[in-house]
Amino acid sequence: MAGSMIKQVALAAALAAAAFGAQAQEKVTVQLKWVPQAQFAGYYMAAAKGYYKAEGLDVTIKPGGPDISPVQVIAGNQADVVVNWMPDALAAREAGVPLVNIAQVFDKSGLMLTCRKDSGVASAKDFKGKTLGVWFGGNEYPFLNWMGKLGLKPDSDVKVLKQGFNVDPLLQKQAACISTMIYNEYWQVVDAGIKESDLITFFYEKEGVASLEDGLYVLESKLKDKAFVAKMGKFLKATFKGWNDAVKNPEEAAKVVVAADPSGSAKLAVQKRQMENVAKLISTAGTAKIGYLEPAAYERTVKVLLTGGSSPVIKKDPGKAGYSHAVWEAASK
Amino acid sequence: MTRRTAPTLREQALPVAVVLAAVLLLWYGGAVGLNAQGAIERVLTPRGTAYGWQELVATTWAMERPVLPAPHQVLADLRESLFDFPLDSPRNLLYHAAVTAQSTLLGFVLGTLLGVVLAAAIVHSRTLDRALLPWIVASQTVPVLAIAPIVLVILGSLGFSGLAPKAAIAMYLCFFPVTVAMVQGLRAPQRIETELMHTYAASRLQAFWLLRLPSALPYLFPSLRVAIAAGVVGAMVAELPTGAQAGLGARLLTGSYYGNTVGIWSALVMSALLGLALTGAVAALERLVLARRNQA
Amino acid sequence: MSGQATRGAPWWLALAIALTAAAGLCLLMPEPGSFDDGTVPWAWRLALLAVLGLAGWSVQRVAALDGRRWHGTATAALFGLWVLYVWQVGVTLFDVPRVLLPAPSWIAGMLVDRWDTLAADFVQTVGKSVLIGWALGSGLGFAVGVAIDRAPFLQRGLLPLASLTSTVPLVAVAPIMVMWFGFEWPSKAAVVVLMTFFPMLISTLAGLQAAGKLELELMHSYAAGYGRTLRDLRLPMAMPFIFSALKVNATLALIGAIVAEFFGSPTVGLGFRISTEAARMNVGLVWAAIVVAAVTGSLAYALLVQLERKVAFWHPSVRSR
Repeated sequence: MAGSMIKQVALAAALAAAAFGAQAQEKVTVQLKWVPQAQFAGYYMAAAKGYYKAEGLDVTIKPGGPDISPVQVIAGNQADVVVNWMPDALAAREAGVPLVNIAQVFDKSGLMLTCRKDSGVASAKDFKGKTLGVWFGGNEYPFLNWMGKLGLKPDSDVKVLKQGFNVDPLLQKQAACISTMIYNEYWQVVDAGIKESDLITFFYEKEGVASLEDGLYVLESKLKDKAFVAKMGKFLKATFKGWNDAVKNPEEAAKVVVAADPSGSAKLAVQKRQMENVAKLISTAGTAKIGYLEPAAYERTVKVLLTGGSSPVIKKDPGKAGYSHAVWEAASK
Repeated sequence: MTRRTAPTLREQALPVAVVLAAVLLLWYGGAVGLNAQGAIERVLTPRGTAYGWQELVATTWAMERPVLPAPHQVLADLRESLFDFPLDSPRNLLYHAAVTAQSTLLGFVLGTLLGVVLAAAIVHSRTLDRALLPWIVASQTVPVLAIAPIVLVILGSLGFSGLAPKAAIAMYLCFFPVTVAMVQGLRAPQRIETELMHTYAASRLQAFWLLRLPSALPYLFPSLRVAIAAGVVGAMVAELPTGAQAGLGARLLTGSYYGNTVGIWSALVMSALLGLALTGAVAALERLVLARRNQA
Repeated sequence: MSGQATRGAPWWLALAIALTAAAGLCLLMPEPGSFDDGTVPWAWRLALLAVLGLAGWSVQRVAALDGRRWHGTATAALFGLWVLYVWQVGVTLFDVPRVLLPAPSWIAGMLVDRWDTLAADFVQTVGKSVLIGWALGSGLGFAVGVAIDRAPFLQRGLLPLASLTSTVPLVAVAPIMVMWFGFEWPSKAAVVVLMTFFPMLISTLAGLQAAGKLELELMHSYAAGYGRTLRDLRLPMAMPFIFSALKVNATLALIGAIVAEFFGSPTVGLGFRISTEAARMNVGLVWAAIVVAAVTGSLAYALLVQLERKVAFWHPSVRSR
């Protein structure tokens, strides 16, 4: 009885909001995983082209950085939704921040190891005794898992370096191999003047140790709120539109990203190439399936994370609680 | 050792010029040494033609991604970023310097006030002296960059964002040297002087104002110079966890991230200039205050 | 200052009352998260405030104790304990998410569980980067200070440059040092040298100016040369300044080395631990590493204070302590 009453009031409120449409913009804050670049072109496109506004949303895009943990930001109620990689998100779940995946934008992994041929690495068998650069911060898990698969012990069979966020260790021969993303750092190595024929690359995807990268995560408790699910549904809808545009027009996307970079360091040509490579990771772009998290892919990632060598990322299988299709379904209506 | 007057411009300019020339020489030499490997490997060898040492040197001073850029490369980059863009463009370094200066100054003023107040309280209250001083020292051993992101998140959840968290971190670095120096300075008066105050039946406040504070000034100013330098660092550090936004710290980060070594160095030079301008301002203030004291 | 100890309640009574109240609050406190909609009732807030007041009072009574050396240490320790207590109770009472601020008990557990890891980190960061960098940086700063004190020409040339290097943020220098010196400890020590050099130089120069005109003229009348004046008058007078810089440098060196490890490091070290475990949401271990750093810094500082007492026991700034 009371429930139906509340529903009626809510309905009236919704009607009133619709009537006054433009004034009642719902606020959404999204925290990115890294600095403004084409990796996040979809969000910037949706904002620049007014897709968020058309859905009645007032979206704030917060850029990330090396010391910004999206998980900390969302735990501190500084964002409604964060862009994050699945290993980090599931580890956070276990640490007491119940994140839930509401959409998986990149369905392919762009993580790879890039090696110099002159360091003596020709295949994965040659890693023994070499120095390998690895990003930490949740990105080391696929690496540890891969080394486990190869039967190599980090720090005894291979020397692991915690890489900064540039490619200098490879250029200066401080490491035989470094971690790179196919849409970004790999090309920085090439731009620095090393010929592609002098490099050898190992894709995590091909090695069978890939985990899901850029996806959208919210706090589990908030999904109980119907209004929040509806709001995030609108957010996803506009975001997917932005991504579809960005994949279709890399040039335009690059321009939008460069304009959105407050540090003034992003360059158009670099961002355009990055966008073209990012597009390869969104194989569902332009289809009805964009952003849909395939349960099989999720389970595969969980399995990789559970078998992370000596220190697995997660100790318990989160099961189906780690993702929700509710918001995605609200968006595709 | 006579009391030194402020050196004239000529007395000041010549030594600086000599030292600068020495630094430039070292710098050019270092650029050759550090960039040679990369130049041979990534520029000269792919060309496939024979090259002499002149060509090698010329290449090391004009690298796209140098380990150490040559001074003229940095200067060219500085000039471009200062004059080719309007002042409010994110591609202009002055714009970023202004952003950093803002949080530095706010943090410095707050930090100095906090430092002086804390020191005065510690000198006058035994409870605070014994309970607080060790913890003030301990506070500085918390690696501030490590907790900067946490500080930003906590302050953010309390509703502070933008300038406030950055100034807070600058303040955190500023207040310490001031506190330590002021505690020492306020205790510097000899017993005979404090006893003199006592015989004049001066109140604690008068003793503080007429004796302790003036005798602490020589301790205060060196610490202020250290504090403002630390404040610049603190403000720039605080710009890192806020993501690649505006500010010199953000420029350094993105420069490092995009492999734009020349950009890193011009941001570095700019931050050094900013620090120099700020410490210069503090030194000018010092001269002003001490000159007035000497006249009195 | 004297006579305070005779006023007010005896310290043990104050302490007993405060501790009883604190224990009472602990025992009565409900389970975390048991308040509906997460707001803490006013009664609990007032109770916490009351305990805070009593705590302050007990610290004041202990501080008023006169005489023995350990009384000062006891006051600081008591104050620290109260802070820890309030932290523990506050975090539990207000149900603060662990990611933002873990409870001290949780951090202590981590310290015990991961002791071996933290010990290896300590050796890497403090034993190598900090110690070597701090000694080199401070030593160089002092040497250059004494050297250019004699050469006003060099002083005018170097000082502006020194100010320049001092304001170069280590954040930027750290990746560059990694490019030059590799990922191991030398690159971190280099950052520390750069950070500690300048404060020492400034303090040494200021300290050498500290000798009064009267004393200098006295030395002159004894026909003491530059070296003799430096050794017998100016360096001793500079001691408080030099120690002040050494103390500041000890803390700067720690921060410098830790931060430098954020920009590339081997898989060991306090900075490495803090940055990687923060990303793993293992906040307890992050704070445990921060505790190790803080304790190290405080111990170093305390040692320097003791050393200063031995070296400059006659100086008024030391004597008045």
